[in-house]
Amino acid sequence: MSTSTAPNLDNNVDNDENNFALPRLARIGHAGHVKRCLSGLPDSQVDLDSSRLAIVFYCIGSLDLLGLIPDKIAQGDLDMWREWIWGQYVSGPYGSGFRPSPFMAFSTGGPSTSDPNSTDAPHIIMTYTALIALAILRDDFSRLDRRGLVNLLRSCQRPDGSFKTVPGDVDTESDLRTLYCAFVISSLLDNWEGVDVAKALEYVKGCRTYEGGYGISTGFEAQGGPTYIALASIYLAPPSPPASSPKYRLTREEKDKTISWLVRMQDPSGGFCGRTNKTADACYCFWCGAALKILGADHLVDSRALVTFLADCQFKYGGIAKAPGEHPDPYHTYLSLAALSMYPPPFSNANENNNASWIFEPLDPLINAKEETAKWAREKVRGLR
Amino acid sequence: MSSPSVLYAEQPEWADVIPIPQYENVEPLAPILYTPEYKDATDYFRGIVKTGEKSQRVLSLTEHIIRLNPAHYSAWQYRYETLLAIKAPLDVELKLMDEIAIKHMKTYQVWHHRRLLMTHLLRNTDSTGIDKGSSSSSTQSPTQIASSELTLIARTLAEDSKNYHTWSYRQWLLAFFNDDSLWERELDFVDSMLNADVRNNSAWHHRFFVVFQSGVREGEQNRDRVLKRELIYVKQNISLAPNNASAWNYLRGVLDLNKLPYSNLVTFVQPYSVSHPDTPSDLVDLENPPPSRGAQLPCPAAIEFLADVYEKEGGDNVLKATELWKSLGSEHDTIRKRYWEFRVKEGLRAIQAQS
Repeated sequence: MSTSTAPNLDNNVDNDENNFALPRLARIGHAGHVKRCLSGLPDSQVDLDSSRLAIVFYCIGSLDLLGLIPDKIAQGDLDMWREWIWGQYVSGPYGSGFRPSPFMAFSTGGPSTSDPNSTDAPHIIMTYTALIALAILRDDFSRLDRRGLVNLLRSCQRPDGSFKTVPGDVDTESDLRTLYCAFVISSLLDNWEGVDVAKALEYVKGCRTYEGGYGISTGFEAQGGPTYIALASIYLAPPSPPASSPKYRLTREEKDKTISWLVRMQDPSGGFCGRTNKTADACYCFWCGAALKILGADHLVDSRALVTFLADCQFKYGGIAKAPGEHPDPYHTYLSLAALSMYPPPFSNANENNNASWIFEPLDPLINAKEETAKWAREKVRGLR
Repeated sequence: MSSPSVLYAEQPEWADVIPIPQYENVEPLAPILYTPEYKDATDYFRGIVKTGEKSQRVLSLTEHIIRLNPAHYSAWQYRYETLLAIKAPLDVELKLMDEIAIKHMKTYQVWHHRRLLMTHLLRNTDSTGIDKGSSSSSTQSPTQIASSELTLIARTLAEDSKNYHTWSYRQWLLAFFNDDSLWERELDFVDSMLNADVRNNSAWHHRFFVVFQSGVREGEQNRDRVLKRELIYVKQNISLAPNNASAWNYLRGVLDLNKLPYSNLVTFVQPYSVSHPDTPSDLVDLENPPPSRGAQLPCPAAIEFLADVYEKEGGDNVLKATELWKSLGSEHDTIRKRYWEFRVKEGLRAIQAQS
């Protein structure tokens, strides 16, 4: 925690306090960064091979937040992107969903395989990112097998309430990330039959730590990402039994403690840290910022300091990095823009100089998409009833 | 392992496998410009998976891919299935993976693979180390296996003392084997980590996990004594480095879990909340160690702690709490000015509601 000198805290609000200038948000540069990534990634990024769809989501999502889709992107590109995403749609006896990329595809297209232990199976996290990316592209979801999605979730939930990333006999990685994605998918479908909600919420509860945040799995250290995911899941859960039971809702004391932990993640640089005594990282401006927003405590954030930190994370040739002086990537670019969508700088002089470049349309913090996009997803993914 | 410089396509011993190129049915989006080595290896991997072959050479191939891309979860998964199918010695596998674990410690799959191996080993080995399958070439008891895992984890943490995956794996491992002889060395381990860096929150979290959240073991049944020990431990650490959020969080965590009132600690906390505490007497007071000489005071966490005590007392004392919050917002913790102003407002509202 820092100490620094500051003016008095009496009620004589200095009217000029919110009259300040920022460097320009290099919108064109950031759009250029993600567009370059969509057209190709260098071999040094081969570790993204098994999560390409997530990178695609961060790129297309950045363009959405920047207000460039659909008007500023060629129709041919939008169609091509949509087709590629649908190209990752696979089904089998375990249900249907999206795979990360064709990195394990053998066949010449079409829904691939019937082997429940297939390595070319849908992945729950990728399925979430695909649905949001398709909503950004205003897809009509006529190709979506909704029952298949429900079956996929059912195939992936483990007895402890958590979710595996992919179906099959091997116990693949499972933690809160996948659980959150399963909750978003069920919420968009408006169908929770694929999820044992009580067990899942019990699992979330077990991830809470003495600090007031959540760890990624039972017994693990509190961290900003899982804390967002835990809170979003609790608030996404349907308002009916069993999720409506008070034992799954946060008590007043728990909420206060979580808010206190979250606000203490903002460090003197203005950025948020992911864990106690770590350094600030742009992505936690989203994870902690969105968690506070979900709890209705966004007014407690020093948004001016936050924006100043993110301004410093801009890379001079486009894209936003995790910290000043680092190299950018689509993940930090998207999450920084998403944070800005929730925390506009508190200007009194928004029209001056560069200030207008920092203004964004609002974001739905629960599913992590622009409100307009979230609305589209909620209407179209569930389909006609 | 095959030499990476020779492509599988050029090796006679792979001639029977039909490589399957990655198929992109439309214009690819965010394509990765693979090296010829990676492309060749994954072409042969897809070929292998298609035929379902599980053999020794699959282990070399998947190892090769994992070294090029440790996040390739299908290669890991298929490797694990192959290990079981051909009853490969898992202790050999663990040894091989030690180096990869340290090199790629930030990759989830590295640790998940070890979990699967541990789970399998524990299920298939009885307590004397007699292997019911033939999955180990030596006879180690489960405790010995877990103990060497703890050593590997310690080596990894020496490279990166806050690595989330590695700490998580340590917690999982301890809970999974749940063996007193493993647990009993954990507090010494935490000590060594905190001696190196008292602000290492992962180590503080681990201590909380070991002491309070993993069951009560022999020697720890007297919970009052454990509680007293922990309070002294955390107070000593606060005394050495007062501005350490991890230690204050630990202190609050211990009090909250045990439902102890914060007011019990006012004597300890008070000297930390002022710029110039009264010079402590020469008597050593274990319960209330004073701030170390040269410590930066006041400590915002101490001020916040006292304010919480006052707020809880209610009545006129809430006003005292609001004064402390004001001082945090205006002087000692200005990045959270809005938060402290909010606490002031809530406090004043509570006072009004009472009157």
